[in-house]
Amino acid sequence: MSKHDTKSETEEANRMWASASFVGVLIIIGLPLWWKTTEVYRVALPYDKINAFETDSHYISTELTVLANDDETAQEVARQIEKAFQESDVIKLKITKKIIPNKLQHLLDSVADEQEALEDVGAAFNIKKHNTFYVVQRKPLYQDVWVGTERVAFFRDIKACSTIVKVLEKWIYQPSVLIGARSEIADAARQVRFPSGPGYHVVLSVVHPRPQELKVNFNARDAIEDYIGSFVDELTELHNFTLKSQWLHLLDFDFEATEVPGGRVAGAERLPLLLTRLEERAATHVSERPTLNLALYVVPCRLAPLALQRYDKEIPPPVQAFMSPKWGGVVFGNPTPEECEKQVYTPPVNLIMGTFLSQLRKLLGITDKEAQAGARLEALRRAAPRAWERDALLRLRALQQLASAETSLRSLAKLLGEISNIVINDEVGASINLAVESIHRATEHMEKADLLEAHRYSQRAFLAAETAFMEPSLLALLYFPDDQKYAIYIPLFLPIMFPVVLSLKNLLLWFRGKPVHKEKTD
Amino acid sequence: MLKLGIPSFFLFILILQIKGDDFKEEIFIKPLPPSHLYVNFHFITLVNGEESFEHSHLAPRSLGEIMSRYQVEELHLTLTEGQWKHKQWGYPVLDAAPGAELYAWFSPEVIDVDAHWKKLSSTLSGLFCASLNFIENFNTITPKMSLWPTGAQKLKQNYTSQLRYASLPREIVCTENLTPWKKLLPCESSHGFSSLLNSRMIHNTNYHSIGVHVRRTCVDNNCLDTNLEIKQTVALVYDFKIINSMDWSFRKLFGQGLPGACPLSSSSKIYIDTTSNSTYRFKLSPEPNNIVLSQRGGSETELAVYNITNSVMMNIVAKYETKDKIFVNIPPPLTFTQYVLGYGKEFGGIVTELTNNYWAPIDVVLLENAPWWLPIQLSSLRINGEAESKLIMSQYYSPGKSRQKPYHLELLLRLPPKSTTTLTIDFEFVFLKWQEYPPDANHGFYIGSALISANLPTAKNYTSLPIHGNTFDSVINASKPWYPMIFRTNGAMVSLPTPDFSMPYNVICLACTVVALAFGPLNNICTKELVLKAAGTPLSLRQKIFNIFKKKKD
Repeated sequence: MSKHDTKSETEEANRMWASASFVGVLIIIGLPLWWKTTEVYRVALPYDKINAFETDSHYISTELTVLANDDETAQEVARQIEKAFQESDVIKLKITKKIIPNKLQHLLDSVADEQEALEDVGAAFNIKKHNTFYVVQRKPLYQDVWVGTERVAFFRDIKACSTIVKVLEKWIYQPSVLIGARSEIADAARQVRFPSGPGYHVVLSVVHPRPQELKVNFNARDAIEDYIGSFVDELTELHNFTLKSQWLHLLDFDFEATEVPGGRVAGAERLPLLLTRLEERAATHVSERPTLNLALYVVPCRLAPLALQRYDKEIPPPVQAFMSPKWGGVVFGNPTPEECEKQVYTPPVNLIMGTFLSQLRKLLGITDKEAQAGARLEALRRAAPRAWERDALLRLRALQQLASAETSLRSLAKLLGEISNIVINDEVGASINLAVESIHRATEHMEKADLLEAHRYSQRAFLAAETAFMEPSLLALLYFPDDQKYAIYIPLFLPIMFPVVLSLKNLLLWFRGKPVHKEKTD
Repeated sequence: MLKLGIPSFFLFILILQIKGDDFKEEIFIKPLPPSHLYVNFHFITLVNGEESFEHSHLAPRSLGEIMSRYQVEELHLTLTEGQWKHKQWGYPVLDAAPGAELYAWFSPEVIDVDAHWKKLSSTLSGLFCASLNFIENFNTITPKMSLWPTGAQKLKQNYTSQLRYASLPREIVCTENLTPWKKLLPCESSHGFSSLLNSRMIHNTNYHSIGVHVRRTCVDNNCLDTNLEIKQTVALVYDFKIINSMDWSFRKLFGQGLPGACPLSSSSKIYIDTTSNSTYRFKLSPEPNNIVLSQRGGSETELAVYNITNSVMMNIVAKYETKDKIFVNIPPPLTFTQYVLGYGKEFGGIVTELTNNYWAPIDVVLLENAPWWLPIQLSSLRINGEAESKLIMSQYYSPGKSRQKPYHLELLLRLPPKSTTTLTIDFEFVFLKWQEYPPDANHGFYIGSALISANLPTAKNYTSLPIHGNTFDSVINASKPWYPMIFRTNGAMVSLPTPDFSMPYNVICLACTVVALAFGPLNNICTKELVLKAAGTPLSLRQKIFNIFKKKKD
């Protein structure tokens, strides 16, 4: 009996060891091997940093210097400004108060012209530095506040405090636009301006529908290089621009114009279709960068003068033009009847290019400045944007790029959590890490009021985040269907894993020294 | 010689006078008796100056942008459907390989030519809606002898290293390629000759080929300044059987009359080759503006010229007088054909036959370009059955690499007069990976045409423009010592061993099942014990349930 027992016990042990070896091969070696070989490749990403982004907490510091004739005025003006901007979480002012040196004060009070006064301030203070602004008292001012092209605003006396605050809010710093750039929902200004990018093509298309009837004297190359060139040269720290021009002939378009006294009026609902026709021919798709379209449409003589709306009582504007947000602008060139008779049309270059410039300003993010009571904004004499507008643009773009980079990274992190098939290769991982690092650097520079560096890093972050998000290698395995996987796994795993998993129970019992079969106890 | 110099001298003066861009349009019509008609459209845009890419007037900005971004010096792109029959039809103005063909010279400043080439082909693919993005390293070659730039080039420059050539014989050319092509024209398709290019009519032909050729041409004889010449071509061969009569008219060919010249063109001319009028009499109406007799390289050509200036609808009609006449075809000086040898799925061969019908020897460069999946061995090259042939004057062979480089063989041959030279080269079939098969793999695999570049000693059947010529009037009395031409042979097709594509899945499923079936009993024997059960032992609940089923079965 005992011999029989020992024999059955050794057999039992053999069986159990066989079972254990099956478990060992299939579960302990096989499963991790299978897991490892079918894993989707992903570089380790800084998820914690990405999730810790707080887009709404970004702010930009900026330096403001108040220069007044006496200490009391300086105190009061600074106090008022500080109070007004205390609430704003998007822009933080670092206000310094100074008394104007006697010599400069004397000069400011004696020179008649504001422009000259500006030069005097420029000689005494460094107004060329980015992200600075000077509020300077100047007694012989006709208005409360005067703002020119440089980073200086003049005010008359202590009574002008409220106007100064308004000017700073509505013209110079525009915290509402900055909040719009930072937030997820686009505000009115963001709906118009082009999305951020390292560079743009500016293409001037001269549309000439009837070359057989009219000769157009217009040098597109000179026009774009003289006018647009001198404008965009000032913005090189923001974007690279390439200027191009082309002629589109015989692009006929039916405006469905209606006759009105003194001309024709184009159907407003037809204008979007004109953009489609232009887009067809303008060949914007061959360039790798976004294109700002400027189109001069030479109205055929049988339609001229063509207007965009009825002017019954008021005087029609000298140029008919319209703008399409994030696309570009169209200006109509209306030949006069005399020009039609001579069959030679010379477009008014100044007027047309001026219109394009004002459209371009809006498309690039320079907002229109609405008039403020008691304040005077010196009109632009050159094509170049004002120095403080450039600063505003830098602030705007830095914030927008930062916000956009953070949104991209957050969405990517969320997608990676939701879709397990997305591959993250080393390059994508590197650009994500670069974006995260650049975001931190940009934030630091922003808080230190180092605007140029902040913009540079935010642009780098934006580009890196976009590259990572748009990388086609992410989608390499996205469409690998699950059913095909199961079609192979099920025939293999079901008949094999089933008995192996079931044998685990007996194996555990045996290892604990308990009897395996109940029948045997009988 | 003086007489010959004058027209070209005038041409240069003409070019000198032009400031800014210049656009010209031309149609060349040549009856190919007895049954075909060749119609060739030329649209030439000359761009003045070196840096006009950014600011274009008549030239298409899209093309200029591509040329400047990838620093392309010269570009030739053709999209062709059908096969030009050289023996029957003579020579076209510009020959083109069936399918898509692209070759370009890059500027000497370009260091990574392959990267630029890849980007160029992908961009052109988007511009022309063609599958040029399938041009990769494994179907690109750098011809050493057969292709030379036709434009103005700096002296002492290594051209061949900056050249890339690829052809996609499988490409099907249709309306979607013609529409973007038309958009490059300043008049688009609304005015001028391009309004005749009605896709319904021009795709109803035996052969049609659209092309874009960009090169630099000299402004004057000194060649200090260069113009950029963008030439867009359409070549059509109509079959009289398709248009149902020998008499042809613009309305029959294009579905409409000619609505006049493009208002932007400085010259709009139609040339009709009336040389065949002596044998096959036909009458043109309306009467041509003038008739030019051209003597070129020992052959006479009569051209009827229409100078279109107004924008009045017109319809040129040709009426044949004698309808049934037997035509004796005199073949052109050089003819050729290519075909595939062999049976089974192991070995095969490509045969190229070159026939010299002329009384003097002709030197040709033959370029065979075999894809990597069709390895050709130089050792198997036979010329007229001989391994060592005296006809080979120079040879270049670059073996292919699997999935990286095609096989490339170039031979400079001197074809003896009045003879046929037969070249055979063997290949073996290769198994592809299952993802490398194209859709519909059983359709077969195309082999690209061989390139034959020849300097013909006679201008018989030769219609091409002289190398310095921009427009068609430059062919008039343009005698030269030789007439360069690049021909394409017909393509060929092989059937590679093609597997049953559902096989891998079947194999996996079967293997899994077998493994599972084998594993079950093995596992049972190893881990389970068979125990005899005494009769009359009380039944457990489970066994009771089993017994119910057993009884039912019985």
